[in-house]
Amino acid sequence: MLNHRAIALSIVPLLLAAAAAAQNAAAVVAPAAAASPYAGSQACQTCHEDLYNGVMKSPHAAVETDHRRGFAGKACESCHGPGAKHAESASAADIRVPSKLAAAAADRICLSCHLNEETRSGRLQSSHAKNQVPCTSCHQIHAAGPLGLLPHGQAAVNAQCERCHVNVVAQFQQPNHHRVPENAMSCVDCHNPHGSLRPAMGRAFAGNEPGCLNCHGDKRGPFAFEHAPVRFEGCQTCHEPHGSSNPRMLTRAQVRFVCLECHANLPAMNSRPVAGVVPPAFHDLRSPVYQNCTVCHQKIHGSHVDRNLLK
Amino acid sequence: MMKLLVSLISVCVAAMAQSPPAQPASTPPQPSQSAPPADPAAQQSPTPSSEEWLAGWVDLGYRWRTDVGGSLEAYRTFINLGSGPKLLGTEFTIADPSHRFFDEIHGRAYGWGDEPSETLHLDARKQRLYHFNADYRDFALFDNLPTYADPLLVTRGIALNEQSFDLRRRIGSFELDFLPGNWISPYLAYDFDRGSGHGVTTFVSTGNQFPLPADFLDGTNNYRGGIHIRLRRWNATVEQGGTTFHDDQSVFQNGGTNFGNMPTPPFGQQTYLTNFLGAYGIRGDSIYSRGVLTANVTSWLDIYGQFLYSKPDTAVNYQQFAAGNQFLQSQILFYTGQQYLVSSAANLPHTTGSFGAEMRPWKRLRLTETWLTDRLHNAASSSENQVLTTGAGSAISLSEALASSLVTNYNQAEIDVFFDATSRLTLRGGYRYVWGNANDAVLPPAGLASADTVTLRRNVGLSGATFHATRKLTLSGEAEAASSGNVYFRTSLYNYQRVRTQARYQATSSLSFSGNFSLLNNFNPYGGMNYGFRAYQESISVFWSPAGEKPFSFLGIYSRADLTSQVNYLDPGTLQPQLSRYTDNSHTVTALFHFSLPRAGGMAPKLEAGGSLLLSSGSRPTSFFQPNAKLWFPVDRHVSLFAQWQYYGYGEPFYLFEGFRTHLVTAGLRYTR
Repeated sequence: MLNHRAIALSIVPLLLAAAAAAQNAAAVVAPAAAASPYAGSQACQTCHEDLYNGVMKSPHAAVETDHRRGFAGKACESCHGPGAKHAESASAADIRVPSKLAAAAADRICLSCHLNEETRSGRLQSSHAKNQVPCTSCHQIHAAGPLGLLPHGQAAVNAQCERCHVNVVAQFQQPNHHRVPENAMSCVDCHNPHGSLRPAMGRAFAGNEPGCLNCHGDKRGPFAFEHAPVRFEGCQTCHEPHGSSNPRMLTRAQVRFVCLECHANLPAMNSRPVAGVVPPAFHDLRSPVYQNCTVCHQKIHGSHVDRNLLK
Repeated sequence: MMKLLVSLISVCVAAMAQSPPAQPASTPPQPSQSAPPADPAAQQSPTPSSEEWLAGWVDLGYRWRTDVGGSLEAYRTFINLGSGPKLLGTEFTIADPSHRFFDEIHGRAYGWGDEPSETLHLDARKQRLYHFNADYRDFALFDNLPTYADPLLVTRGIALNEQSFDLRRRIGSFELDFLPGNWISPYLAYDFDRGSGHGVTTFVSTGNQFPLPADFLDGTNNYRGGIHIRLRRWNATVEQGGTTFHDDQSVFQNGGTNFGNMPTPPFGQQTYLTNFLGAYGIRGDSIYSRGVLTANVTSWLDIYGQFLYSKPDTAVNYQQFAAGNQFLQSQILFYTGQQYLVSSAANLPHTTGSFGAEMRPWKRLRLTETWLTDRLHNAASSSENQVLTTGAGSAISLSEALASSLVTNYNQAEIDVFFDATSRLTLRGGYRYVWGNANDAVLPPAGLASADTVTLRRNVGLSGATFHATRKLTLSGEAEAASSGNVYFRTSLYNYQRVRTQARYQATSSLSFSGNFSLLNNFNPYGGMNYGFRAYQESISVFWSPAGEKPFSFLGIYSRADLTSQVNYLDPGTLQPQLSRYTDNSHTVTALFHFSLPRAGGMAPKLEAGGSLLLSSGSRPTSFFQPNAKLWFPVDRHVSLFAQWQYYGYGEPFYLFEGFRTHLVTAGLRYTR
């Protein structure tokens, strides 16, 4: 579907940016320290042995021997920039320290190599990137272990995320929750911290299906009779994925209100229709038999057999 | 399960007992209910020294659980930890000094021995040759809360959740990357997800519900392979995959008379079920393709693109046989036997495309643009045939053919402008436009609603700021405000404002404070719905985690959340206007202390204590208390004894019968090398 507003939104800034960039390209691409000579990693090791040793035990050690990236023998300077002047003066002012740079500038250093990785493909949609959370917030460049630049294992990953997302820690203390506090799951099982096309940086399953189906395969379908919100707005329409005091992590205390808030029998009074307003049947909710819709409409996620989701 | 546990324990113990340690190993991390953010370096898997081929630890123990006071069903639904011998956890690293077949293998396993969450992970690699990852989880899923089925059933003496289950869900993932780190690196992967178990579900027949036992059995296999091409300025990943799926749920009743839950028999005649068999024969498969591109086109432009396509389909043969006295309202017919067969097929092509660009026209200014389209179209058909046998011996045949479709097209375009006002302050402003359409129909129509056609239009203004006031203090916040023309559902985001802020203060290298605040206001005034939703949450935390052998560390988090929602509806029985109002006001405290106790006999015992407390009021007031304490007593450099106490207390003022409390005591040892 073509949309003029979207087209204008897309093309005009692109043209403006291109024009501006063309004028400023020379200034942007020429780093001030480009002419400085490199000192080599051995020179760095002389004073920063602990940091050097840490890097050499990490995957970044490959930079030291990889001639293709152009930093063989000078892995430290692949991030810190040419360091001969600093080696001579021992002044912190003469070396680039990524942790003192703005997040975007620090990330540019990482992305100069790591942009070419699949996990970065959703970066522009990532709230981490939008909120200036630099790569080094999670990845420990100098204190790395053999498995990489960040903790591995559910407990360690969850502890890492907890440092910032303390709101979410509290949500997981609800009685109905995914098994993150038990460390049987980790945050990255559901979220891609580098960003993704799905809401809340959610992971995908089998190409482009919701990541929830990775474990809840029985809800996958496709169904002959779909329940539209599952496809239109996802599982979180009815469920609180981090935790809830309501059974099955539902958004409401009793099942019928989850249903009635959409199936409200109140047709739109204007030209703004919404889906699912008219219920397929009239039930007497004074009878307990009808107070939990899913006792009868048990295939609430979609049915292969019954249009009313009864079986 | 016990065989697997015994095997795991044997392998771990035998492996670690083979050679004497060359040097003391550091204390490895341990899982906890809410582990504090310890030094990341200490959280890495154990690493063998140059002389050792194996390093790691294993925790073995025995747990005793006291009788559960209150609802055992609720305890099993929420906690489900039991008594018995356990492999509580192990992490190990095996190094091959010759680097012949592998450089290192890292493994970890937690919670084995009839536990609700059993996990196993292996990671093997040989530099520049391969990287193999295996992950396996076995979850016990039990759910039987009377209040889920029907809060008032208990008052009538029926404490049965008609949607209860006792399942195991086994999930595995295996991936082999060839030539990792090279410019071109292919990979193969296999994932599976299987569920099996028992439960209770219902057979519904013209308003009456018959609770019946059910067997659940489903499985998904996912095969995929692809290739990463990593060049200096651009990257492409192409992946092709496929899945197979089966679901063989069956519902049955062998003999007896099941009168169901219907309080008023139709025409004064009681309906009942004497025999029943319902079997789902669901088979499905899919293919999918994925292409990803990122490129650094020029010094001022990066581009990102993704194309995703999947086409899952299912074919179903459902068979149902029922005997008893049943009523078919559409025919005003009582019948004694039913044979009901349904064949259906569904096909759901799903295409997603995304393109984005990051432009840096000036040093301090960046622009990002993203476009996204997501298109899904389910086309399905169903054919049902049933033969009803009446008490008089006559047979009636009924058949129906249905076609259904569900279509959704979602589109989104967004532009963000980032401006580095100073080296410490970054400002962001942006705009997102969302539009789409969807429809859902079943033909021929029946009842009041068989087709919906809806559209989506939303304008969203975006803003944000990040301020590094000092090296120790960081403040960040973002806000968005939206105005919608059309949305899909009454409770969709309509006219909304969302705010998130965060502050972090790193007082010292050991001590940090943080605070979070989030707010979402959503309002839809149209169509007589008067939908209003407001949720906010504020949290503060303190981390005290000194390096080295300090006697005390602490993690504390306090969070307060408040949610209010209300929307009008008509009672479907009386057509009287009603208000659905939901509130939830909760206070949560989480804390974890680590104490180093006075040395005894040259050894330094340690105590960990903490837990969490949740108190909430509103539509479903809840209290949930989970304290625990663990005492470590090192016997020598390699062996530590530990004892752990856990308590779980759960209460609901509205549903007292679902409360429970229990104590768990675990004793065990850790062997480290």
